[in-house]
Amino acid sequence: MWRGLWTLAAQAARGPRRLCTRRSSGAPAPGSGATIFALSSGQGRCGIAVIRTSGPSSGHALRILTAARDLPPARHASLRLLSDPRSGEPLDRALVLWFPGPRSFTGEDCVEFHVHGGPAVVSGVLQALGSVPGLRPAEAGEFTRRAFANGKLNLTEVEGLADLIHAETEAQRRQALRQLDGELGHLCCGWAETLTKALAHVEAYIDFGEDDNLEEGVLEQADVEVRALEVALGAHLQDARRGQRLRSGAHVVVTGPPNAGKSSLGEGAGPSRKPVSIVSPEPGTTRDVLETPVDLAGFPVLLSDTAGLREGVGPVEQEGVRRARDRLEQADLILAMLDASDLASPSSCNFLATVVASVGAQSPSDSSQRLLLVLNKSDLLSRKGPGPRPDLPPHLLLSCLTGEGLDGLLEALRKELAAVCGDPSTGSPLLTRARHQHHLQGCLDALSHYKQSKDLALAAEALRVARGHLTQLTGGGGTEEILDIIFRDFCVGK
Amino acid sequence: MFYFRGCGRWVAASFTKQQFPLARLSSDSAAPRTPHFDVIVIGGGHAGTEAATAAARCGSRTLLLTHRVDTIGQMSCNPSFGGIGKGHLMREVDALDGLCSRICDQSGVHYKVLNRRKGPAVWGLRAQIDRKLYKQNMQKEILNTPLLTVQEGAVEDLILTEPEPEHTGKCRVSGVVLVDGSTVYAESVILTTGTFLRGMIVIGLEMHPAGRLGDHPSIGLAQTLEKLGFVVGRLKTGTPPRIAKDSINFSILNKQTPDNPSVPFSFTNETVWIKPEDQLPCYLTHTNPRVDEIVLKNLHLNSHVKETTRGPRYCPSIESKVLRFPNRLHQVWLEPEGMDSDLIYPQGLSVTLPAELQEKMITCIRGLEKAKVIQPDRVLLLLPRMECNGAILAHHNLSLPGYGVQYDYLDPRQITPSLETHLVQRLFFAGQINGTTGYEEAAAQGVIAGINASLRVSRKPPFVVSRTEGYIGVLIDDLTTLGTSEPYRMFTSRVEFRLSLRPDNADIRLTLRGYKDAGCVSQQRYERACWMKSSLEEGISVLKFIEFSSSKWKNLIPEVSISTSRSLPVRALDVLKYEEVDMDSLAKAVPEPLKKYTKCRELAERLKIEATYESVLFHQLQEIKGVQQDEALQLPKDIDYLTIRDVSLSHEVREKLHFSRPQTIGAASRIPGVTPAAIINLLRFVKTTQQRQAAMNESPKTDQCLRDADRLQERQL
Repeated sequence: MWRGLWTLAAQAARGPRRLCTRRSSGAPAPGSGATIFALSSGQGRCGIAVIRTSGPSSGHALRILTAARDLPPARHASLRLLSDPRSGEPLDRALVLWFPGPRSFTGEDCVEFHVHGGPAVVSGVLQALGSVPGLRPAEAGEFTRRAFANGKLNLTEVEGLADLIHAETEAQRRQALRQLDGELGHLCCGWAETLTKALAHVEAYIDFGEDDNLEEGVLEQADVEVRALEVALGAHLQDARRGQRLRSGAHVVVTGPPNAGKSSLGEGAGPSRKPVSIVSPEPGTTRDVLETPVDLAGFPVLLSDTAGLREGVGPVEQEGVRRARDRLEQADLILAMLDASDLASPSSCNFLATVVASVGAQSPSDSSQRLLLVLNKSDLLSRKGPGPRPDLPPHLLLSCLTGEGLDGLLEALRKELAAVCGDPSTGSPLLTRARHQHHLQGCLDALSHYKQSKDLALAAEALRVARGHLTQLTGGGGTEEILDIIFRDFCVGK
Repeated sequence: MFYFRGCGRWVAASFTKQQFPLARLSSDSAAPRTPHFDVIVIGGGHAGTEAATAAARCGSRTLLLTHRVDTIGQMSCNPSFGGIGKGHLMREVDALDGLCSRICDQSGVHYKVLNRRKGPAVWGLRAQIDRKLYKQNMQKEILNTPLLTVQEGAVEDLILTEPEPEHTGKCRVSGVVLVDGSTVYAESVILTTGTFLRGMIVIGLEMHPAGRLGDHPSIGLAQTLEKLGFVVGRLKTGTPPRIAKDSINFSILNKQTPDNPSVPFSFTNETVWIKPEDQLPCYLTHTNPRVDEIVLKNLHLNSHVKETTRGPRYCPSIESKVLRFPNRLHQVWLEPEGMDSDLIYPQGLSVTLPAELQEKMITCIRGLEKAKVIQPDRVLLLLPRMECNGAILAHHNLSLPGYGVQYDYLDPRQITPSLETHLVQRLFFAGQINGTTGYEEAAAQGVIAGINASLRVSRKPPFVVSRTEGYIGVLIDDLTTLGTSEPYRMFTSRVEFRLSLRPDNADIRLTLRGYKDAGCVSQQRYERACWMKSSLEEGISVLKFIEFSSSKWKNLIPEVSISTSRSLPVRALDVLKYEEVDMDSLAKAVPEPLKKYTKCRELAERLKIEATYESVLFHQLQEIKGVQQDEALQLPKDIDYLTIRDVSLSHEVREKLHFSRPQTIGAASRIPGVTPAAIINLLRFVKTTQQRQAAMNESPKTDQCLRDADRLQERQL
């Protein structure tokens, strides 16, 4: 029963055991906290991307990725070949920096990997780090928080920390929403539900199995469910390596009341000029939100053209509107488009009052969501006389028909996207992917321990760990949830 | 000093006007020969007895006030102690030198460890206890505890004085007023009044106050607490009717025999007082559809079940079982009440139907066809600790088979992890008054309250058990940060670090701390725990050091199912993990140096358990460190979340923090709705405060505190 049991934990504890006893610096000190990693430069097209780790296993991770016995000299840039510890496949030639604690950004042992900025390289390095025992993707603001806890930030520097964490949390939340919105999200939620129930039943068997009467076969049923879950997770992870369906790039959503000219913009915006190039004409997904990956002013962008927002139409369009609103919530940048000649109409007014005003009302620190207000059909406007309403928030004028104002719009877009993509707090899809993989793999590993454990307390612990990984992706996960299920499903108590 | 008798409004008014009637207070306190103690404990139940003895062990002159001395140690409900999760609590109480485990080892009639097949982390030590013996032994212990005085008397009110400036709270308790008008002063007061606050007994449609008639002191105390601004909730519980032993046909029922050998509750005992063969059996029977029918047909006669007072999500009574899980057979355990008792306690038959229907229902059950539900005068012995029920019962000429109890509890988010109230300095609450259910939960809180009341007197820092250290910590942290809306009962599923917090190692976790930080542990127990700790550490390192190839292990211990294909050497500790290996078989294989670790049976068993969980415990230790880091970050106690401007917090978060008053960043982060950003803002505030404090150093803050007290008061009004 003990063969290979808890390999993950055991490896973290002892590494390859023989090696560990002789390990010098950078060895994970027993009992200290987890080591975290994150992409700390922005996403998007860039020459160099910086990936950071912090924590006791940093040195260990560096040696594993560089396949070296020794660490590079502290605080010196060294050129190293990074390779995947599982496959041995080379990932990139990178500059690495080793900062032993406490003289580092966080006060812990830190490593910086300066890798070439392509998504494939970054993704590869992140996943390689995720596979090192003891390492996990950082939570929102975790680096800064560690620095703070170790007295590495003075109080003025901390001023912005809560804002930063809030923004990061928001960005991760949006990123998570995007993931959960898709097939993967549904899968994860389903798995988490199954696992929570299985765990609740095992817990019930532990806490009430002898005092109260549970039905026969509670454990067997849990076993069956866990086994099925293991198969599903395993198959998914196999499949995921061939290309996870994660949508990457800044999410730009074009929205507005019907007939404002949103689609004209999405279709290429302008007759002849080609600053907006469609990278691949992938026909979105099954939803009627049209989604196109484009390279906009040099930034990878996922452009979503949504249904016009209005109330009181048929059920099919209502569904479209609902999805459009969901998509709005997930957007990094909202292109709000109105018909300049039709500003007084109820649909325009309603749109201004709900969407534009609500995003505008948030202070920049409150949310990293941005909004550009564009008034289309300026060609109609100029002929009719005076400009649009004076009480409008800052806006751009555009005519999709004549191409007038397009330069201005592109320049504004470029600025906004630079802000969105250059900010590391924007939930990077690459990191999200690494997170997903890390937690799904962690879950699967833990489930295999469940199977091996004869000691029921150990088996339950394996399920707890597995569930912990899944709820990192789906949210929830409290003890009360377990107790609710126990008391719902079983007649226990005295 | 002023009395707080029925004049809460007057006191409140004087607070708001910031005019302390100081002259009157001082003249009052000059009264001659008023008794004065360090700690007063009100209530002699499971929380009260532990609290009083713990305070006395810590060196405080302690007074235990109870309605009747002869009800001290009364087991008011089930005749058993321990169980899954509860057994863990008892081990921890024992590790702090508490009483209940030792008394149970002297009073049990059927010892059995539950969950034997499920792993030592979740073993549930449990025993049927002889009520009479327990009470006798407990009273003997209480009356022989040095520094502890026991006095009969009913408490009418609290004596309150101006608050200490260096602590929060709008006033300070300095003693109690008894029903006869006499006063007793003390430095700390612990309230362990159980279900006694506005308790109501419910049978069928009848409801009877369970407090006293006439002067209503319990109501007076409840009113005082309410006037002080304590938030009060209401809970319900119940107890089954008792059955005459000789009216039961045991011969057709499933018999459960006790363990052989018995496992004692206390670390200090190697065995229990009674041999397994002399112990009494328990019997198992089941309900049937006819029971369901009687319950369902008579719901209209059952106000306890109908009413909205929140009962637990779990099924406390046969009515809730039938309602929520119909068409099922439910277990009924027939448990002995004592060696020479002719009563049987039907565990699982808690019921509030009218008396005559109860008997009708019971006689439907197999083995109970001729069962006699016992008479009222007998029941009096079994009543919950509402010591005056005799008077009421006589008054109402009640017959009292099974019944429900509804009672007030105080929202436990109003107390700190040391169980002191936020509102009144030096006033501690422990036990059912905090919304818990069960003897063990009460005892656990009692020990902590007793220790802290005593530490408070000697101006030492509080003794707080973290959720990383014990079930006691989980219990108190859950209560103080999350509150409870149903009687809170301990389950192992509530415990994150279940594999680390085991019944076997409670002494290592708590005895050493209890000795050093609280002073509540005897020298003898401390030395034993130290010896055990060093022996375990030595044993584990020896077991790690011994390494052989797997084939050699297979030769040495043929029964081990080790795979010989692996070439890496295997540690003795890893071999010990196999189910079929124990220290004896290891020591036979490698006598030198392992033989000496088999001499003490407990040590050998504990080494085996440590080996079982070794690899996971490392993992868990990392997490524990993380939690402890957050718990080391103390939030200032006097912080006023509602008005403070230095911290940017949403209104919702402010309200939550204000109500629960978490003491550490760790506790704050467990309060639902407190966001990560809010936590960072709090962290920043903590660091700023620390810096400022270091700079300023002990400047008088009296005025500030008085203003805080005013603000609190205003909000209440």
